[in-house]
Amino acid sequence: MSLPMHLRRYHEKSRDEQTRDFFNVPMQEALPGPSDPPSVVKLRGVHHTRGGGTELQGMDINAVISVEGKEEVYAGRLSLLPPFLCFISLDRKSCRCTIPLYTIRRVERLNSRAGVFALSLATWHGMRIILQLTSLLPTAEHFAILLRDALKSQLAAMKQLKPFLPSLYSEYLLASPASSTAPHPHGHNHNHQPQTDHLLLGTELGEKGATGTAAQDVEGDLRGPGGEGKGLYQRGLGETFGFPGDARKMRERSKMKLWREYFMIHGRNFTLLRYPPFQRLLQVGLPSRLRGELWEVMSGSIYLRFSNPETYGLLLSQNAGKSSQSTDEIEKDLNRSLPEYKAYQAEEGLARLRRVLVAYSFRNPELGYCQALNIVVAGLLIYMSEEQAFWLLEVLCDRILPGYYSPSMEGTLLDQRVFEALVHRCLPMIQEHFVSVDVQISVASLPWFLSLYINSMPLIFAFRIVDCVLAMGVKVLFQIGLAVLKINGEALLEVTDDGMFINLMRSYFATIGDSAHPNHPDPRVRAITNFQELLVVAFREFNVITDETILAERKRLRAIISDEIEKFSKRAAVRNLKHIGKFSKDQIGIIYDHYFAAVCSEEAGSARESGSNTPLPGDQFDQPRIQVDAQGRVETRIDLRTFKVFLSEIATWAREETITTNAFIQRTDKKIADHELIDRLFFAWDSQKLGTLSLQDVVMGLDRVMTGGLMESIEWFFELHDKNKDGYLTKDEVIQLSESLLFIFRNEPGDVYLAAVSKFILNAYEFGDATAPQGSVEEKKPFDGDLETASGARERSNSTAGPHNLPYLNLATFRMVVLADELLEGFFDHDLSASFELEKSETEDYHQQHQRSEGLLGGLMNLVVTNENKTRLNRLADGFGAALGKHAEWRKPSLAKSTDPNQSGSSDLRARESLLTPAQQQGHLQHQQQQRNRSESAASQISQASTKTVSSAGGGSSEEKKSLREVEQRYREESVMVRAAQEAVMQRPNFAIDAIGDSDGEDEEEGEDDSGVMDEVEAFLKAHGADDEGLKGEQKKVATDLLSAEPMGPKKTTTSTSSGSLVDL
Amino acid sequence: MAEETPVKAVQVKLVLLGEAAVGKSSLVLRFCQGDFNENTSPTIGAAFLTQKCRLENRIVKFEIWDTAGQERFHSLAPMYYRNAQAAVVVYDITKASSLEKAKAWVKELQRQANANIVIALVGNKVDLVSETSATETTPAATSAATEGDDETESPAEDDEDSATPSPAAPAADSDDARQVSTVEASTYAKESGLLFFEASAKTGHNVGEVFTEIAKTIPFDTIAPKPAAGAQQPGRRNANGQEGGRVSLGADQQAKKGGCC
Repeated sequence: MSLPMHLRRYHEKSRDEQTRDFFNVPMQEALPGPSDPPSVVKLRGVHHTRGGGTELQGMDINAVISVEGKEEVYAGRLSLLPPFLCFISLDRKSCRCTIPLYTIRRVERLNSRAGVFALSLATWHGMRIILQLTSLLPTAEHFAILLRDALKSQLAAMKQLKPFLPSLYSEYLLASPASSTAPHPHGHNHNHQPQTDHLLLGTELGEKGATGTAAQDVEGDLRGPGGEGKGLYQRGLGETFGFPGDARKMRERSKMKLWREYFMIHGRNFTLLRYPPFQRLLQVGLPSRLRGELWEVMSGSIYLRFSNPETYGLLLSQNAGKSSQSTDEIEKDLNRSLPEYKAYQAEEGLARLRRVLVAYSFRNPELGYCQALNIVVAGLLIYMSEEQAFWLLEVLCDRILPGYYSPSMEGTLLDQRVFEALVHRCLPMIQEHFVSVDVQISVASLPWFLSLYINSMPLIFAFRIVDCVLAMGVKVLFQIGLAVLKINGEALLEVTDDGMFINLMRSYFATIGDSAHPNHPDPRVRAITNFQELLVVAFREFNVITDETILAERKRLRAIISDEIEKFSKRAAVRNLKHIGKFSKDQIGIIYDHYFAAVCSEEAGSARESGSNTPLPGDQFDQPRIQVDAQGRVETRIDLRTFKVFLSEIATWAREETITTNAFIQRTDKKIADHELIDRLFFAWDSQKLGTLSLQDVVMGLDRVMTGGLMESIEWFFELHDKNKDGYLTKDEVIQLSESLLFIFRNEPGDVYLAAVSKFILNAYEFGDATAPQGSVEEKKPFDGDLETASGARERSNSTAGPHNLPYLNLATFRMVVLADELLEGFFDHDLSASFELEKSETEDYHQQHQRSEGLLGGLMNLVVTNENKTRLNRLADGFGAALGKHAEWRKPSLAKSTDPNQSGSSDLRARESLLTPAQQQGHLQHQQQQRNRSESAASQISQASTKTVSSAGGGSSEEKKSLREVEQRYREESVMVRAAQEAVMQRPNFAIDAIGDSDGEDEEEGEDDSGVMDEVEAFLKAHGADDEGLKGEQKKVATDLLSAEPMGPKKTTTSTSSGSLVDL
Repeated sequence: MAEETPVKAVQVKLVLLGEAAVGKSSLVLRFCQGDFNENTSPTIGAAFLTQKCRLENRIVKFEIWDTAGQERFHSLAPMYYRNAQAAVVVYDITKASSLEKAKAWVKELQRQANANIVIALVGNKVDLVSETSATETTPAATSAATEGDDETESPAEDDEDSATPSPAAPAADSDDARQVSTVEASTYAKESGLLFFEASAKTGHNVGEVFTEIAKTIPFDTIAPKPAAGAQQPGRRNANGQEGGRVSLGADQQAKKGGCC
């Protein structure tokens, strides 16, 4: 059983996170520095605290970008997201780039016309990028300083770049001499840095003498599938087993040539800039040999591979030979993963697939393995090495397809719902028809999304969709899906059931390579395939579907999905319990609600973050409450701290309830109580001795304490305190048991309970001495009435070593002692079990509670009162109440049913109270306060009380009735007084409410205004900004001028590294 | 449509459920062997297959949803069993826990699925136990006890009682591999009103019988044909008899591929 707790904890991504996602930049913690230990198991929940190191500051600034050798100049937004520098043009499509700072060899401030702050970046690949910072000068200077700091932090990473690059095919491709058809626009660059390029050749072709063979290799490479390329670059199974599709038909050779040319001007791998031709090259399908590398570059997984060089190997070596539920499931699916591809009919292919899936299941044990990942990874491995595929898988699971493969698959469910909503919006006729014939679109579309269409259409086409998804994000999946439905619209309107729908989709995908217009006279039109038509429809007609659309729809529907999943997993969890004891299904449901409310509670959560919580076994990953058992099953378990939260909701005595009334409201504040008794319960219920409890443990534990009768209750309470389970309590344990009782009784009005406990101790010692096993009582002293006290007995046993740890009181004696007291008997008979209450948890509709509004006032309350300002509001109300003299607080008793102080103590309680004289009640109050002070042995207080009790016990029934009347009289008087006081207070005139210094609401609004302003600014920039082809006129001239500008002389700070990079600002 | 005119083909939506690795896919494959849709995909969510089955007076076309067994796909299952007329809940007789999971599925189906759904409980992998009583388990099909459910009153032509074989004889469970005794499972099936079989996808033992028995048990007369388009009227479910017109475009395509078992 696992629970989508992260659904409750879900936070919408911050602006910064969204920016990082957009640029495919990993969060900083995913990028350990070279000196940091390799991160093997996924660390989540360590956000914002990066291994002690100081976080580098990021910054956004307006800028204009231009590149040597290119005409186009683009205005846009430059973001420093250490350790990356990212740019996006204003139209958000023409030009974008993500450049790791460790690939920047030199940064210079250019000497140019006044007022222009321009930087020149020289990249590892000899490209020169000019950035004009168009913001105000101080802002630009600040940006430059941050950039310099960020660059300095990357010196170590720069050194790693050189050994890393040979793993990339593009390096190999460009290392070979340029073919005659490709002009070399960087001729002068070679003069600049002949050394560099030479170093980059690194591999077999290091020497220029190898030109001849290199040329042949290039031929081989361009030939596409078949001949295995040379070089050290990481490669997929396709290099050995052949890439899917006909290389000639797919024009691999010319595509490769075009990419080579593109790389020469726009940079490659780490320094690749996306200019308009990139989009066109992408949409005709990536060449097979380059595909793997471009996938990792476009998705950003390459940055993870670069920063975590050891992780994949360590995962495999550390987990070698281990098996888990995930590994078993992986094993079963290996033969069902693209079996039509040759490599997966051979051990080599299967072994790679197995290793990647297994490594990831250990990397992310919470996710483990999800069917469909086998298909996706099998697809990736055709074009990528294991390590490349592994990191791309991580990016897919974390960022591109969040929650798709998690144990509750909430991302999948959510995106299916989003898809349906989009169908409803864009293709209402189809949506209506499907509703009318009661067919769910997800029946067909679910596998499209889960397998990125790899499982749905012929591989060569599916991978072209993967190309686009990795380059442009998840919106592509939706665009393609909508286009599929639109193209088949007419046929879809004929569909009457699931089967027809599925068959229709199948036959469409089966003919997707066929001509879309087979009978058209123009051969060029005939040559257009269904697939091309699909892409055109997807990207033309559904370009209205943007990242923002998806995010907004997800945000809108997330609460609904989360609710459904929770209800579903609740049903499943309740159904899957092996034993439910004597509880009804509803009661189990309530236990479940409390259990997970506790898991998600702030108390439990904050405790974990502060680290005060002792780590539990097997919790090397961040969520201590989710444990993976031996079979690799994910199970939610609660630790002691969470258990206390849970119990405080269930058991009246496990919380401190303070009832506060003031002039406005009456409210109850709950605090979690803490006592050894709760620890005892926890460890008693821990059936597997794991230090955590499962839902099953809790249900069984509660079953025993809630449904037992008198004898059962006495028994479990006895066992709870019998630590070594030998059937005897020691003297210490008798004291502890008494303390537990006192803890439960601590808030009861009157001192009858104290008296009862005192009597209990006394009797326990008396009977204990008589019945204890031989040897445990060292000397039997005659019991001499009032003089012998429990504390005396304690002291005696303390004087010699150990006897208080010897078996002393057995169950039978304990029972006898309990039954000797009417109050304790009543307590064990019903009060104890009744002190556990199963009431509907408030958080049942957790996700939708914010959307609920109960009438106008309720809605207003919901609007005004948030969790954050609730305490403040309460404090405010208390203040007024106090000012008005209407403030009152009292502790809610645990056993009494009434919450009104004026009638605290129900009638039978009062009857019992008569056992005590009024004088004793004074003492009792003190005891109650002292009681909190546990270190002072309870025995000493109790001994006093007990003597009195004993003395008064013989009071007889006449006295009992008399004192009862007294007590009642007193209560009546008191309540009259209270009422009078209240009335007096109400006479006071109302004060004008002044100085309400609550600015919370204002702050929140400010945030919204802010984004509104930003939108306006963006709209303005769009209206006045650049078009597709970049900047024109004046600005462009400035940019071109800058290309020939000299670096500034002064203000130059230089940092050099061993590899010769310079950071000049 | 023309090909099938003499006999009416009735479409039955059937869903396979059960713990992972109990052999759901193998059972369907065995059942559909030979002429199932060739491009069956690995199970993502659910695989979709069709197979036809000839009964005395009609052809039953099974539309089979073979669902993924992995626990995390559980939440997707309702999508597949909604509107299903039949369900095959599979467990592995060599794995006791798989029967527990099967029971959970049955409970869920009885609560969430179509009220008239016919459920068959199938213990797979009998080939793994050195069954001395193989002959005894062969007719292990016990009929669905539909008592107390007026909706599923069986029509005359599908007299299920006539098909009721002798209840499974208590098998001597001396074999090691077996963890679920025939008696235990058949008793449970009887109590819950399920069809019950022990089968082997590997040898084909009893596989056809599962589907034939389901076909016999389904109260076809109460299945109203779906309107071609327009609002669905669940209330009509019991009103109409079956209708040949159900074999429409999709069925027609299927007819070319599929034969009969």
